[in-house]
Amino acid sequence: MKTENEVIKLIKEKLNPLEVNKLRAQNLAVKLENEELVSSLNYLKSKGYSHLATISCVDWIEDNEFELVYHLFSYEDKINISVKTRIDRKKSKFVTIKNLWAVAQYYERDIHDFFGVEFEGNDDMEELILENWNDTPPMRKDFKTRDYVNEKFEWREYHGQK
Amino acid sequence: MKEKYKSSKWQEVINWAQKRSLFMLHYCTGCGAIELPPTMTSRYDMSRFGIGPAATPRQADILLITGYLSTKTLRRVVYTYEQMQDPKFVMGFGSCTINGGMYWDSYNTIKQLDKYLPVDLYIAGCMPRPEAILEGFLDLKEKIENGEAKGYKKYKEEYEYYKTNQKKVLGEVKRRQ
Amino acid sequence: MKNLNGGNTMDKSKMTEMFFGPNHPGVPGNYGINYFYEGDTVVSAEPNAGHLHRGFEKLMEEREWIKNTALVCRICVMEPDINEMVYAMGYEAIGEIEVPKRAQYIRSIILEMARIQAHIFSIGGNCGAIGLYTAMHWGVLARDYILDLFEEITGGRVYHIYIRPGGVRHDIETSTFQKLLDLLDDLEKNRMPEFEKLIFENPTAQKRWKSTAVLNQEDALRLGVTGPTLRATGLEHDVRKLMPYGAYDEVDFEIPTGNNADAWTRMKLKRDEIFQSINIIRQLIKNIPDGPVSVNLGNALKYRIPKGEAYVKVESGRGEYGYYMVSDGSLKPYRVHVRGTSTPLGLYGVEALLPGTRIEDVPVWAHSLGICPPEFDR
Repeated sequence: MKTENEVIKLIKEKLNPLEVNKLRAQNLAVKLENEELVSSLNYLKSKGYSHLATISCVDWIEDNEFELVYHLFSYEDKINISVKTRIDRKKSKFVTIKNLWAVAQYYERDIHDFFGVEFEGNDDMEELILENWNDTPPMRKDFKTRDYVNEKFEWREYHGQK
Repeated sequence: MKEKYKSSKWQEVINWAQKRSLFMLHYCTGCGAIELPPTMTSRYDMSRFGIGPAATPRQADILLITGYLSTKTLRRVVYTYEQMQDPKFVMGFGSCTINGGMYWDSYNTIKQLDKYLPVDLYIAGCMPRPEAILEGFLDLKEKIENGEAKGYKKYKEEYEYYKTNQKKVLGEVKRRQ
Repeated sequence: MKNLNGGNTMDKSKMTEMFFGPNHPGVPGNYGINYFYEGDTVVSAEPNAGHLHRGFEKLMEEREWIKNTALVCRICVMEPDINEMVYAMGYEAIGEIEVPKRAQYIRSIILEMARIQAHIFSIGGNCGAIGLYTAMHWGVLARDYILDLFEEITGGRVYHIYIRPGGVRHDIETSTFQKLLDLLDDLEKNRMPEFEKLIFENPTAQKRWKSTAVLNQEDALRLGVTGPTLRATGLEHDVRKLMPYGAYDEVDFEIPTGNNADAWTRMKLKRDEIFQSINIIRQLIKNIPDGPVSVNLGNALKYRIPKGEAYVKVESGRGEYGYYMVSDGSLKPYRVHVRGTSTPLGLYGVEALLPGTRIEDVPVWAHSLGICPPEFDR
């Protein structure tokens, strides 16, 4: 069982990270470039970090980028690692990791539904949770939900009150 | 029904028999459905009033919309409502059917149930207690006895109005089912 | 339509399509499975999810930090307290706020009560899926007495809104603790032996549950499954021991495991976990310290924490439940991502694991693996 400092040393030696830091006890965060991501995940999976909790996406609209975060956990070391990378917001494309973890195809389909990111190699991108959605993908920061609701639905009138 | 039997005495007998045997469709559409098992089982027993669950819409009288409706569920609920036989009743459950409730600024839920289906009775609460649900059923029975629960006739008369509202929210059918 | 071993489509002329759809008494919630079957066995399946989608993650970005505590408890309907706990834990992790001891003990007591009532409801629902309706009635009744106690402590039967960032809302009196101990005695001595005779020594129920819905260890680890479903294969993984939170590092409890990973073992595990939870609550009530129950964080509408991020998780009745929270220093959260427990099984598990079961076992499969649709629909 390794401690957090040993894992940080291991990541700095074997991978090529932009930044590694310890957020708090039992939690680390690693930032990588786009090309290094799949090989780094493969390496971490072989070292015991084989539990993929989920894949999240954050919309940084001022930097014009999306950030994809992969959450890994190891049952021996008991440490959470969040592996992050940034992609461009206009041509939002990335590679799939469904050859490492088969579950990832549904997480990527979910991100495609809500953010509009395309994943090469994962060709099943049918709508999973929304149905017949023709507007901008709803979780982006430039989709204003209150304007959409005021336009599409009508409010009930109460007699004598606003 | 033949014209000669439509006098008021026959209608009273039919209303009396109908209010004592109501079958509720067992379809949990939203988060209010978690208070239905306590109402149906032995603590707040609802079968002593003659109300029981039915599995298919063809054999049910009451459609209980428990809580919010997303647009995906609204399409299935409209198919279900049109499969039920006359006379049928719709009850709105919780404050999400009245004006949107907790999810008033959500892009996926509907705000007023009244525009898409004819509602006979509302039960307020978030979520209503089992005693409030039983009170709602007793009010519905009174309405049936007085002949005021006429939602199914209103749906047939104002069919265009309901269909325009439904098509505005749902659009057309692209996927199967 | 997909084949498991490649991308070829199969010969559809001999198969029938069935919509085990949202309007069915056998599904655990508003959720559907579309499958093809041949003879009596399922050949290929896919999930039909999204009927319960309310857009929680977008709604949370439009409201201030304190207003979300009234919203998050509606994400998982069977066990709402874990949502409030994870949200408060994430806020305190980013803001580096320390919660007093008495509040941690009270939070753990509330979470264990929620676990007991969720397990009783789940056992009752499993029995309803095979037709044993008496056990369903008894289970819902036993759960109702726990909801009465929740109403006395917090004011609501189902949605409590009691745990918030900084502690809990108010204190609990000693007379309520005494009522809780009496209720646990009644559960352990009177009701659980009756369940034992009705459900666990019943030869028909044993025959329906043994060797159905098998999930072996390799598949469970590959999919990212946690909770009683993973512990039934023999591994002793529990978030309360791996990354302790609340007051769990100060009590003594065991983690029950099983050998064969079928529906029968999972039912026995849930019963054993109820007894462990009763034991934990008794220890917590005996050792609870005095002191304040919350930290004063200032004006509630102006809560603010510095820039940062956190991934926090708890052990719910079904497994690991986590939130990923990002803050940019303003009055509202920047991004909250919810990872429900049954996301791998409800979405990918249907495609990979359901083919090969018989049609009458599909409701048993859905109920015993603990699929709760509002968690992945959000």
